[in-house]
Amino acid sequence: MSSDEQAIEQSIRVMVVDDHPMWREAVARDLADAGYDVVATAGDGQEAVRRAPAAAPQVVVLDLNLPDLPGVEVCRRLMGHQPPPRVLVLSASGEHADVLEAVKSGATGYLVKSASRADLLDAVRRTAEGDPVFTPGLAGLVLGEYRRLAAEPAPADARVPAVPQLTDRETEVLRLVAKGLSYKQIADRLVLSHRTVQNHVQNTLGKLQLHNRVELVRYAIERGLDDGR
Amino acid sequence: MGAKGRTGGGRTGGGFSVERPLWRAASAFRLLTLLYAVGTYPRVMDHYPDRTAGWVYLALLAVWTFATVRPFSSEQRCGWTWLYTDLATVVIGILLTRVFDAHGWVVRGDPTLPSIRAAGAVLGFAVMGGWLPAAVAALAVGVADIVETGGATAGNLHNIVLLLLAGVAIGYVIEVARASELTLAQALEIQVATRERERLARDIHDGVLQVLAMVHRRGTEAGGEAAELGRMAGEQELALRALIAEGLAPNPSYVAPVVPRRRRGALQEPEPESDEEQDLRSLIAPLADARVTVSAPGTPVLLPGPAVRELGAAVAAALDNVRRHAGERTQAWILVEDEPGEVVVSIRDDGPGFDAAARLGEAEREGRLGVSQSIRGRLRDLGGSAEVFSTPGQGTEVELRVPRGMADPSHQHGTPQHGTSRHSREGSVG
Repeated sequence: MSSDEQAIEQSIRVMVVDDHPMWREAVARDLADAGYDVVATAGDGQEAVRRAPAAAPQVVVLDLNLPDLPGVEVCRRLMGHQPPPRVLVLSASGEHADVLEAVKSGATGYLVKSASRADLLDAVRRTAEGDPVFTPGLAGLVLGEYRRLAAEPAPADARVPAVPQLTDRETEVLRLVAKGLSYKQIADRLVLSHRTVQNHVQNTLGKLQLHNRVELVRYAIERGLDDGR
Repeated sequence: MGAKGRTGGGRTGGGFSVERPLWRAASAFRLLTLLYAVGTYPRVMDHYPDRTAGWVYLALLAVWTFATVRPFSSEQRCGWTWLYTDLATVVIGILLTRVFDAHGWVVRGDPTLPSIRAAGAVLGFAVMGGWLPAAVAALAVGVADIVETGGATAGNLHNIVLLLLAGVAIGYVIEVARASELTLAQALEIQVATRERERLARDIHDGVLQVLAMVHRRGTEAGGEAAELGRMAGEQELALRALIAEGLAPNPSYVAPVVPRRRRGALQEPEPESDEEQDLRSLIAPLADARVTVSAPGTPVLLPGPAVRELGAAVAAALDNVRRHAGERTQAWILVEDEPGEVVVSIRDDGPGFDAAARLGEAEREGRLGVSQSIRGRLRDLGGSAEVFSTPGQGTEVELRVPRGMADPSHQHGTPQHGTSRHSREGSVG
């Protein structure tokens, strides 16, 4: 690891949220040893949401399986803070629906707990840089989600926003990610720059998150109008 | 009275039950029929040489009936002794009619002293033991009726048959009601147990998964013997996770928690030869291990049962192929895609791959061709296609496509369908 990278990592403020003390400490220690600034740890969702504003982490390493709040809800609440932290989901459960929901509500990375220490450190660094951390598994889920949205009947109401769609190139990139190719390999194969591949992946997440926010707002307005009657 | 004691087996107590309403109904029936018997007597009283004797019997019957309201209100309080005594009381009443009433009137069809109260005794047997004891009790009353009139008359027979049929029918319905209640109770028990098991599985397994993942991580870092330990922990973690995901995910092939009792075994796993739609993921997900990553949509990928099995076998064959020819240490990725018109499964490995020019010779030499052909054969039978292509440095990729709506192997005869080459470096083996 070069001294340049070391310098970047020292400035990265991380919060670790995990109900398992063994994991919470191990992850925090690994991050601290590598020079990251672990500003806070939390053992449950309420504590995480409460401590996040003061600690102001850039990256929250979040376990989805928490005793009090669903991890997805914690992610959603963290996103409400200003400025919102970036969320890297680190999960052992591998419960697909939860991971997808967390990503839709703003998480930009997903790593299974069986990933190595080097993978974890790399994932935190990339998440801090705003680079989405996609496992092949998450890419498969996201592809499936776009197809599910596309298969839904078109809304009759013109005010309802159209469902997001992937461009052909984005689909191609996501499929390659899901087949385990690295961004560099994808760039080589599709004759693109590494940066362009990253942007494509980022866009696929961005559209899904935007759609999710629009849906939430629409839902809130509908409920609000109903209550007003 | 030769009724043999026969108790209905395995009744459930407490909570919702058909028992209480049944016993209440029987109890009410006894009281109402008593009132009818008492109300009928004055009408025929003039025929009796000794009116007081009739009244005395009816008074005793009324006292007995009212005094036994409590024993007859539930199964716990009621025993066969009470039922036999009740039956004996009405049978004696019927026989006493012959003694008290003028013989001429008896033969002409005067009602017996207990009248329809006799049916109350039969109903008690039906509620207690079902149709057989009810039939025996009804026969006992019938025999008493015949003895009372001194022979079988038309009206007599009519009443006896009616009582017998009604007793048997009610007894049978009661048995069916009890059996249904038992089934319902068992289904509820299974449901509760399943929910509890799932909750425990989620809690316990989460803890176990965490520890296994940690051993895997730390062991791999420590190296040496610990690395081997870590590798094993990692494999167990994956296996356990796949097991939990399969056990807890709502699998459309076995949703129904209530099944007929003889098919209880089928609850555990779906019918292996079923033609019903199955989730392809349930066959692909268990293939994941330390070197194989499975990516799939979060929603079920449904295909007809035979297509799922064929496709699953083809994927397993492709994976074997990777292990055999690209080496044990090769990583592999499986991607399942659920498109509107077809299902696509891709298997990629990061092995050395093969050069497009030397492809055929090499493939033949390594025996890849044969395996590829068996995979291709399976897919052709499903009306789909299998393509193999390789990019040097990026391993080998097998892409299996199964169209929807025509994936019935029994009606397919080798649809000639070849995927169009979208990738510049792809080609087909064989």
